[in-house]
Amino acid sequence: MSSKSSKSSKTAISSKFTLSTKFALFRLALQMVGHRITALIAVACAVLGGAALLTGTGVLAESGLRSHLPVGRLGGADVVVAADQELHPSGDMPIALPERRTVPAQLVRELAELPGVTAAVGDLGFPAALVDAHGRVVPSKDPQASGHGWSSVKLLDGARVEGSGPAGSGEIAVDSATAAAAGVKVGDRVNVVVNARPAAGYRVSAVVDAPDAGVLFADTTAVRLSGRDGGDGGDGGGGDGGPRAGTVDLIGLRTAPGATEQVAADVRTKLRGTGLEAVTGADRGDLVSPGAGASRTLLVLLAGSLGGIVLLITGFVTASALAVSVAGQRRDLALMRAVGATPRQIRRLAAVQSTVVAAVALVPGVALGHLLAGRFRDLLADQGLVPPELPLTISPLPALATTLLMALTVQVSARSSAWRTSRMPATEAVAESRSEPRDPSRTRTRVGLLVIVAATTMSAVPLFAPTVLGAAATSMAGILGAIGLALAGPALVRAIGNAAARRTRTGASAPTWLAMANVRAYALRNAGIVSTLAMAVVFVLTYTFAQTTVLAATADDTRTGTLAQQRLTAPALGGLSAGTLADVRDTAGVRAAAPVSTTTVVWPYRMFDDTVTEADSAMILTPEASEVLDLDVREGSLDRLTGATIAVSSDVARSRSASVGRRVGLVLGDGARVDAEVVAVYARGLGFGTVVLSHDLAAGHTTTGLDQSILIRTDGTPAARQALTSLAASHPGLALTDAAPTTTDGLKDAPPQVWINLAMIVVLLGYLLLSIANKLVAATAQRRVELGALRLIGTTPRQIRAMMRREAAVTAATALTAALLLSAIPLALLGQGFLGRPWPAGPAWLLPALALTVTATAFLTIELPTRQALRTPPADAIRAQ
Amino acid sequence: MSAAPTWTGAPVTTVPDASAPAIVLDRVVKEYAGGIRALDEVSLTVERGTFLAVMGPSGSGKSTLMHCAAGLDSPTSGSVRIDGNEIAGLNETRRTELRRERVGFVFQAYNLIPSLSIQDNITLPLRLAGRTPDHDWLRTLTERVGIADRLGHRPAELSGGQQQRAAVVRALAARPAVVFADEPTGALDLRSAHEVLDLLRDLVDDLRQTVVMVTHDPAAAARAHHVAVMADGRVVEALEAPSAPELAARLVALAGV
Repeated sequence: MSSKSSKSSKTAISSKFTLSTKFALFRLALQMVGHRITALIAVACAVLGGAALLTGTGVLAESGLRSHLPVGRLGGADVVVAADQELHPSGDMPIALPERRTVPAQLVRELAELPGVTAAVGDLGFPAALVDAHGRVVPSKDPQASGHGWSSVKLLDGARVEGSGPAGSGEIAVDSATAAAAGVKVGDRVNVVVNARPAAGYRVSAVVDAPDAGVLFADTTAVRLSGRDGGDGGDGGGGDGGPRAGTVDLIGLRTAPGATEQVAADVRTKLRGTGLEAVTGADRGDLVSPGAGASRTLLVLLAGSLGGIVLLITGFVTASALAVSVAGQRRDLALMRAVGATPRQIRRLAAVQSTVVAAVALVPGVALGHLLAGRFRDLLADQGLVPPELPLTISPLPALATTLLMALTVQVSARSSAWRTSRMPATEAVAESRSEPRDPSRTRTRVGLLVIVAATTMSAVPLFAPTVLGAAATSMAGILGAIGLALAGPALVRAIGNAAARRTRTGASAPTWLAMANVRAYALRNAGIVSTLAMAVVFVLTYTFAQTTVLAATADDTRTGTLAQQRLTAPALGGLSAGTLADVRDTAGVRAAAPVSTTTVVWPYRMFDDTVTEADSAMILTPEASEVLDLDVREGSLDRLTGATIAVSSDVARSRSASVGRRVGLVLGDGARVDAEVVAVYARGLGFGTVVLSHDLAAGHTTTGLDQSILIRTDGTPAARQALTSLAASHPGLALTDAAPTTTDGLKDAPPQVWINLAMIVVLLGYLLLSIANKLVAATAQRRVELGALRLIGTTPRQIRAMMRREAAVTAATALTAALLLSAIPLALLGQGFLGRPWPAGPAWLLPALALTVTATAFLTIELPTRQALRTPPADAIRAQ
Repeated sequence: MSAAPTWTGAPVTTVPDASAPAIVLDRVVKEYAGGIRALDEVSLTVERGTFLAVMGPSGSGKSTLMHCAAGLDSPTSGSVRIDGNEIAGLNETRRTELRRERVGFVFQAYNLIPSLSIQDNITLPLRLAGRTPDHDWLRTLTERVGIADRLGHRPAELSGGQQQRAAVVRALAARPAVVFADEPTGALDLRSAHEVLDLLRDLVDDLRQTVVMVTHDPAAAARAHHVAVMADGRVVEALEAPSAPELAARLVALAGV
């Protein structure tokens, strides 16, 4: 340092000089900040809200990727060995696999011999549910795997055991919460439903005081019940015990004190190449229940789908707030040009000033974002979409990303807002700064019109792809259209103003005439406000109607495609057994019954020379499904859905060229790679998903091997329904419901995802309205001088208010009209694509409610600052310039 | 050397041959919050067809005098009559209406409405009052001030002098009883300033218009018929058609007091 400073005094001086001019600029920027407080509040609000939304989305995304569920019942296992429950496509995000992958059982003994291992336990999970004295099933957290072997007690972290371990096949141990819920204690007899088979009596030999320990059987009994003994596995879909015989779900290792990392390393060496992994610490939580772990990815998906829109809206709002703020100080900037500031300095001044304000707003914004993410997670947990115990991951990454994005937005928009003033000859800049009147740039108008055309073209997507993804194009098109409007707006607003001014020239009252002149002359200022208001309307209209239209179309598909009247499920039992299916078929009045389950399937396919790997939800059906479901099969037949076969929806068949007879490679929910033949192509993909797996293909690749539901078509008589009701009542845990919702109007039956999207719409609408309000307040406050001058030449306060109200009316009306025009085509195409009619489905009150909100916002935020401005004596107001 | 205190409390400037004065101020006091007394019992009469300049150092109360005399502000006590109408006690709307009818304004910063053409700016006060413009009168005025060919332009497209002349026409459009000009030449170059001052003087001499001009420029004030010199909220001296050097000397003397 010291040697450098002595090197050349000249550089030292010049660097000192630039430093001091930089500092002067900074100080100047700060001083100017003080004078434009309303405009800068608008910028601060935009940045604060934007930072909150971006950070919130970021926290959700990061939590989806990095949060771990609590280790729960694996707390005592220092090292957990299990199969990777994620699929890792090259160059893409990992995909969570919801069905349990297994580990060879012989590995338990091999790992036990490793140095440092004090105990090795092979854990298995299978459905086991207690039935209390009233015949009710005791609920458990993970009904698909609440049954375990007694040795899994060693996996618990310091559990107290009352009684002794189950001896023989007639005894069980239960955790204390379950025991309390079932009303049993050591020595009592209790009925247990295992693998959804008829309840059998067991003696409770022990109560384990640990949460989620489950129902514990003697180890050999557990192996038999879970179908891992190689013989007759459970009679529910486990088949001949094939794929899961001789396996365990995971292996828990207890290690000598301090040996955990060493053991984990040894295990990893041993496991290399097997696809198994050894995890320690918080990572263990993800292996407790693969289904729960997989739900984490919902956070990533949600954050991904929201991210685009949040980014667009945040950028738009921040940029337009900055445009208003910079426009308000064009005079200051122009005067600085006149006294010798270079164009670059002017732009830097604008950027520095905006950055200072943004930096101040960023900190509370980021904090708010974390709160927002927390609330959002609670909402998801309440809706049962993520496990309630899933924590958020808090790291500096989302805040860092938000800061970067915001800084970029602020710098770029501040510099481009100051561009025109900075580039003009100084004298001209001063002259122009007094008023706005200037012609909107032609390039800007052309680019805006191009964006609108592109957005409209984009909105045709639902015509060709009536899928959830296709519907997203509609909302995107709407927002892009509004951005196009913001660009082309000044020219359009001026054209409208000209037309209006021509109409009002004769005979109109002075305030009306003045208002029209202002609308025309301040086209730039008005267009910014009009386009933000329009964006709020377009965004809410397209986003909501895209949701409700897809919902209506899906419900319509499901309703018309479901032939069955009743659905039988057993959520608390972990599934339904083949025996129950037989019982249902034997019930009087039942015409047909078929099992229906849902799993996840990953289908890698090629698109534009790229391999796309996406997880799809897939139904598991048997050939009998055609008796209870009408998928509107266009090609092939569901009767052939045996062996390694699948059926696909027609849009997937088209886009992934999977017609009948083609063989496709799939990855099932447990990571198994299979080859399957397409035997049917059906049209009702919206209601029933893109892929249907044959029951045979999925057998052995689901966690329980049980069916999730049975769809039942009866002769429609009340007697049949009665018979089914009594069948359900006689088996603990069975639940009988209507097969398809009878009504589809309204949002009442909307799935939670739709509600979450709607909640997000409300948040974003609030953000947009706040930014509009701020902009209007700032813009009106900037007109004090103009209002003062008007009053001096004889305009009464009443006339001023009348003028401003008329301007507000024109603003609101233009915004609403523009919004309607912008959303009309996307919504018509949406309706056509999904419902076959040129209008969408959704609540009819939405448009009037929006119109009212927008109009009220425009009026209030113009009226209040106008009244405030009128309080200043006019002579003071004009002197303030 | 210093001004005679007799100027306060009695009519100061009288102009012969006028029946009713354009402006009459009688013991006008204006106090601002904090007890600052900007006007201290000022009495002043402006007769029709005269050109009065109000001079004084900064803070002498000349702007406040103009605001009260023009009905922009209400006096704390005392009486202000514009063209025979008492304005004390009128609310903002009534005062605005009176101003619109009887008073024209010319400001240092022109204060033309940027969104309106020159023509629309000129007719705006009439429009606001719901009156039909007298087109012959306006044509006479615009030709006389030399902006007849700029009527379709926006203010930003005109030079400062042209804008100020347009502002003068706007002030006269409604044939007001009095025109107030607040530093009308403050933002202009020397030549434009001369043109505007000539114009104001001609309006008084040829059209019998009444003009009250607030200025700190002795050269500008020398174009008036009468000059009232203010200090510390009072009119301390009244001069009849003084020369610019004479005025300058007075001001220097006042500043030295």
